[in-house]
Amino acid sequence: MKTTRQIKREAKRLFRWCLVNGLLDAGRARQVVQRIIDGKRRGGLALLSQFQRLVKLDCARHTAEVESAMPLPPDFRASIQAGLARVYGPGISASFAHNPGLIGGMRIKVGSDVYDGSVRARLAALEKGF
Amino acid sequence: MADLLHEIEAQIAGVKATTAKQNVGVIREIGDGVARIEGLADAMLNEMIDLGHGITGLALNLDETEVGVIILGDYTQLHEGDEARATGKLLQVPVGKGLLGRVVNTLGEPVDGKGPIKSDVAYPVEKVAPGIIRRSPVRQPVQTGIMAIDAMIPIGRGQRELIIGDRSTGKTTLCIDTIISQAGLNKAAEAAGDKDYRPLYCIYVAIGQKQSSIAQTITVLEKADAMPYTIVLDSSASDSVANQYLAPFAGAAMGEWFMDHGMDALIIYDDLSKHAVAYRQISLVLKRPSGREAYPGDVFYLHSRLLERAARVGEKYGNGSLTALPIIETKAGDVSAYIPTNVISITDGQIYLETDLFYQGIRPAISVGLSVSRVGSAAQLKAMKQVAGQLKGDLAQFRELAAFAQFGSELDPKTQALIDRGKRIMEIFKQPQYSPVPVEVQVAVIGAVQGGYLDDVPVDRVKDFQVRLTEFLTTRKTELLGKIAREKTLSEALTAELKAAVNQFKQTWK
Repeated sequence: MKTTRQIKREAKRLFRWCLVNGLLDAGRARQVVQRIIDGKRRGGLALLSQFQRLVKLDCARHTAEVESAMPLPPDFRASIQAGLARVYGPGISASFAHNPGLIGGMRIKVGSDVYDGSVRARLAALEKGF
Repeated sequence: MADLLHEIEAQIAGVKATTAKQNVGVIREIGDGVARIEGLADAMLNEMIDLGHGITGLALNLDETEVGVIILGDYTQLHEGDEARATGKLLQVPVGKGLLGRVVNTLGEPVDGKGPIKSDVAYPVEKVAPGIIRRSPVRQPVQTGIMAIDAMIPIGRGQRELIIGDRSTGKTTLCIDTIISQAGLNKAAEAAGDKDYRPLYCIYVAIGQKQSSIAQTITVLEKADAMPYTIVLDSSASDSVANQYLAPFAGAAMGEWFMDHGMDALIIYDDLSKHAVAYRQISLVLKRPSGREAYPGDVFYLHSRLLERAARVGEKYGNGSLTALPIIETKAGDVSAYIPTNVISITDGQIYLETDLFYQGIRPAISVGLSVSRVGSAAQLKAMKQVAGQLKGDLAQFRELAAFAQFGSELDPKTQALIDRGKRIMEIFKQPQYSPVPVEVQVAVIGAVQGGYLDDVPVDRVKDFQVRLTEFLTTRKTELLGKIAREKTLSEALTAELKAAVNQFKQTWK
């Protein structure tokens, strides 16, 4: 039986192997998953879930979730994407979502960084200020 | 109305500032007062984390993909998946004179129902202790009002003296006595308008104790009118472990304010065994590697960095001081256990209380042989040093000879005299709780014993003699006591006067 620590270490090793020039290579990641499933090893499932977690965190680091109160026009989306690429490097992709709950403005989340310029967040800050 | 408008406008202007980058994470696991938060990539060690619902946490573990956070407050309101934000601030508590007379929790919030605390200064809970350049030697005494301590194990301002003993041997009482004594001295100096006297403010930190004991302590302090000079920091057994772990550090921050402003403060950590247990629980839940008795590897550093904050700073740096009296509870008198040995080695001496002595009626149950004060003798009053210099040695000889005397063998007159003197000294040091004795009275009484004036008093009447002598001196010889207190040394003339006073008393005493 492998310990959690061993599994974590192994998952990290596999994840590092999937990096090409610092960016996650989707083909390699798929190959790793397939090999683990085909290998039918003990603790394979735990290893897979740990690997999935690392991939998920990496995706979150390289994906910007842009939420806006109303749908954004394509040229504005492009300018946001360019701005993000300037800050976070070229490997960043953006996903756009429409969230009327924000009331106004928008909110961008990249990994654990959040740029919140929504009316909802400002109202919440105001409420806290009182 | 205009004021309100301005206020709202100012608030809105504050909020309007450009969108700043925030660092957020998501709670992945929560329980036992500890949360594991995924994200928070830029979190700092000991940074405050805003967990929503008005609850804050403290980042203690920084891992590769997640952060271990201890929660200060009711963690049952938080759920997996909730968002947490880094605040960029370190944990701070309010400090200052506004806290005197109040009972507060670990975060410095009042818990005594006496309204908000007037304080506009806050100090970080974790602070680096003063360095060697800022420090100066311990020179001024802390008059505990307990004869055995002031005479044989003197404590100085800026010292760290451990109080160690089994359960119910009077450890807390010793500290409460000290607080009451300080309040009495502070009040007397205020009433007399003595500008030279440096008041000593007290901070009592209760860690992991029963609410009922804390309430009782507060009642005693209120009855003795000691609260105006005291801050009580309450982190009871029902408080979260995170709060119990932080309580002594918060108390130290409050004490440091007095030290930094050129004042003297005394802090009592009651007790550090429970503090170590709280820290062990946090460490285990945070999955830190455990060592001896399951305590984490840094349990020594935990207490050393706390006690190192007690110091006497030099005149160039304000001349303040923070004296620490940590308490450790031993199990079955075992001082060689892990936490007791740690704290013994950190502190500048220890006062060891023994169960056997306590039940023999020797109260305070201080074991003179095992108790030491490594720096306090420099701080002792010269008059006290003159009369009590021999005491420790006399008592050591007495204990050795008393063992022989048990066999009932015939003893030479010199040995018999030593034993008789020892018995009388032991009687003199018995003292009821919550009744500290002023230092000038201590000097007079010990002077009388060492002068041989009690050698013809039967041992069972020594206490009566002492009480009456104290009464006589405080009512009819106030001038003499005043002189001892002022001159702080026994000149030949003063010694003669003291002898005459005791002789005069002996003629009337029956």
